[in-house]
Amino acid sequence: MSEEIKETGKEDASGNETRRNFLKDMGTAALAGAAALMTDSDDAEAKSTWAEWFQKNWRLMTDEEKKDAIARLETRYSEEYGKKVTVDGSPAMKSVLFGYALNIQKCIGCRRCVYACVKENNQSRHDTEIQWIRVIRMEKQNFLPDDMNKGYPPSAKEPFGIQVGGNAHKPAGVTLEGQHYYQPELVPEKDAFYFPIQCMQCEKPPCVKVCPVRTTYRDPDGIVVIDYNWCIGCRMCMAACPYWARRFNWGDPNLPKEEMNPNTHYLGNRPRMRGVVEKCTFCIQRSRKGRYTACVEVCPVGARKFGNLFDPNSEVRQILERKKVFRLKAELNTYPKFFYFID
Amino acid sequence: MKRGRFSKIVFIILLLGGAISAGIVYSQQGEQIPAPPEPAKEEKPAEEAKAQTPQIVTDCFESRLPQEDGKSYTKVTRVENTVQQYGWPNVKCSQTTGGVLWWGDPFDGTAPMGDMPVLANDDYSKGDYAKEEAVVKPRQSQLMYFNLDPNKNCALCHDGKIVPFPKDKKPRKLAAHQDVVADSMQLMHGRAAFWCLDCHNHTSRKTNALIDHWGNEISFNQPQKLCGKCHGEVYIDWRLGIHGKRIGSWVSGGKKRWWVCTECHNPHTVQVNRFQPIKPETAPVLPKGMKNANHEQSQHDDGHDTTPKGAAGH
Ligand code: HEC
Ligand code: HEC
Ligand code: HEC
Ligand code: HEC
Repeated sequence: MSEEIKETGKEDASGNETRRNFLKDMGTAALAGAAALMTDSDDAEAKSTWAEWFQKNWRLMTDEEKKDAIARLETRYSEEYGKKVTVDGSPAMKSVLFGYALNIQKCIGCRRCVYACVKENNQSRHDTEIQWIRVIRMEKQNFLPDDMNKGYPPSAKEPFGIQVGGNAHKPAGVTLEGQHYYQPELVPEKDAFYFPIQCMQCEKPPCVKVCPVRTTYRDPDGIVVIDYNWCIGCRMCMAACPYWARRFNWGDPNLPKEEMNPNTHYLGNRPRMRGVVEKCTFCIQRSRKGRYTACVEVCPVGARKFGNLFDPNSEVRQILERKKVFRLKAELNTYPKFFYFID
Repeated sequence: MKRGRFSKIVFIILLLGGAISAGIVYSQQGEQIPAPPEPAKEEKPAEEAKAQTPQIVTDCFESRLPQEDGKSYTKVTRVENTVQQYGWPNVKCSQTTGGVLWWGDPFDGTAPMGDMPVLANDDYSKGDYAKEEAVVKPRQSQLMYFNLDPNKNCALCHDGKIVPFPKDKKPRKLAAHQDVVADSMQLMHGRAAFWCLDCHNHTSRKTNALIDHWGNEISFNQPQKLCGKCHGEVYIDWRLGIHGKRIGSWVSGGKKRWWVCTECHNPHTVQVNRFQPIKPETAPVLPKGMKNANHEQSQHDDGHDTTPKGAAGH
């Protein structure tokens, strides 16, 4: 696996050479003209946008190139948002494989995680509103022996088609309909439970398989990342993801200056542009510096747990050892690093 | 190999496109939002910015609310620029519910947990917490009766004279604290198996106001020492970080703030609600073109709803 990456890496790197040559051949004059056009204004944004066109995929950059790219972005963002913005480029930590566990029994569906995530990760706030976490409300139903023996309903108008358990009269167990837009006065409600979903950081991510430009890939610490600069916006990854985890910037993101989080990572929460896909990165800008993710920290019931799967003392490992654990759509062999558990 | 080449081609196409139009133009025929026409775009942000002028909420609560309206039992006050490196406040609060939505400084207002109680049989908890920096938020500052008098605390009344010390542990009707325990004859914890004085110190109501059934005096700041005596299994999970909540560093041995039991549970009402319900944050906006979310309402309350399932959904 790693060898394959190395090899294609080489190939791509040489591919870059070709690109350079191609550019040379195109005639420096024409290029210079275009460059002049773009950098006509003394705008830091225009300049760095131009430089970004010649940027390699993050994975293939040398340390020197990464430094340049980061410096460029830091200048641009700082100017754009009127505060000192840092862009981190730190690679995966050694001997760390991130895992996440969520206690489905405790979750009360308050959606605080959703907004913690938005605040931390600089998502577009409105038009289009982008949220990486979805909380789905599901209704609990009972298995009643009486209903079970009733058989099929007399009328074809009965709406209960698809169900889990129960019979055609009444859904039982869990109905398949999940509700995203629930808004009760108080949570938790008596007859419901709540099911948050976000990127599962799969070990075999279908999104990575389909990306035609290989701009989304899995880092050694298990985080599936995106180099936004290379994303062509084809949205194949969104179609491939079985967990509805990826979001697309249909327009320019709306991120108010005062709400912008200046602690960013190149592969994580740096401001995105129109036409790129984004998703949860386990708060890469935090987790790679040893801090819990924003959603873990904000959960009022402590349903969310995060840690290093290689560390037997980590809470996630303890949960795997001691609790009843399941993964979403395990049958797809995506091997998520996101576990659901009950006490 | 093929993919590598493909990416090259794509890059070149993009580059040409970029050089010509100096920008990426995407076709936007998705089901969500087509880019608004230019003039509308100019007006909208200004308008919206005004409508959305963030009213900064400075008082928020973490997890636990009182049974009835009143002061929260886990209050935090937002302070600007506490993390100077990034210009972060200690917390960001929700404008709709007043709940904490984001932690800038996870150790805001904390104090060392003190001597972490070590389990007699430490077999199942290999983690060496003695070496880990653990902090908690002191509970005393959050209590209402405790702070009526900053020096005497509960002993303001419970000094043995104004309110005499109780003679025995037998449940009786009380002349006070109905706001904390509505009916002292029906304490909503433990199914009538115990009473106030199995947790509250009979005489000392100042520093160590709690007491476990072995007579160990315990501070309000360390309720886990009390609860753990009866809820052993949950306590073990809490020690391992599975029950309850910790924030700060995920690294074993890193500094963490631990939530103590009473930050989530009201010890006087657990039988009514293990966790006091709270208001949820607002639902996501509906996708363009979807008028309401009726299609996802349940249709099986024996109401024979024959309206077709929403076509726009899912
Ligand atoms: C404003 C005066 C006042 C304050 C302050 C006060 N109490 Fe009380 N408390 C009372 C009264 C009055 C009673 C009722 C005694 C009775 O009916 O026998 C009572 C009864 C109790 C009882 C029932 C058992 C007993 O000791 O009689 C407990 C337990 C208790 N209080 C705990 C506390 C705690 C803990 C604090 C501090 C956080 C506190 N109280 C602060 C006035 C007070
Ligand atoms: C299961 C143990 C337990 C029992 C039983 C119990 N309490 Fe408490 N009580 C506590 C703890 C723990 C606190 C501190 C709560 C916190 O930190 O929020 C407390 C706090 C209080 C306070 C202070 C609240 C405030 O806001 O200042 C009063 C008053 C009180 N209890 C009265 C009573 C009375 C009266 C009874 C009996 C009817 C009773 N308690 C039974 C554990 C108990
Ligand atoms: C003297 C023993 C004792 C102490 C001390 C004690 N509890 Fe309990 N607790 C019980 C018993 C008994 C029950 C009832 C269990 C049941 O209903 O099956 C209970 C029930 C609960 C429940 C609800 C569980 C359920 O099954 O519904 C919660 C939550 C809880 N306690 C939390 C606490 C917290 C927090 C503390 C510390 C402030 C505490 N307890 C201290 C004995 C205790
Ligand atoms: C971060 C919040 C939080 C903290 C801290 C916390 N709990 Fe809980 N606890 C919960 C929630 C949420 C539930 C589940 C409620 C439900 O099932 O409706 C729960 C359930 C319980 C239950 C009953 C169910 C069970 O699992 O047996 C007990 C008993 C309990 N907690 C005791 C404790 C004790 C003791 C502590 C401190 C050592 C503690 N809790 C700390 C949030 C918390």
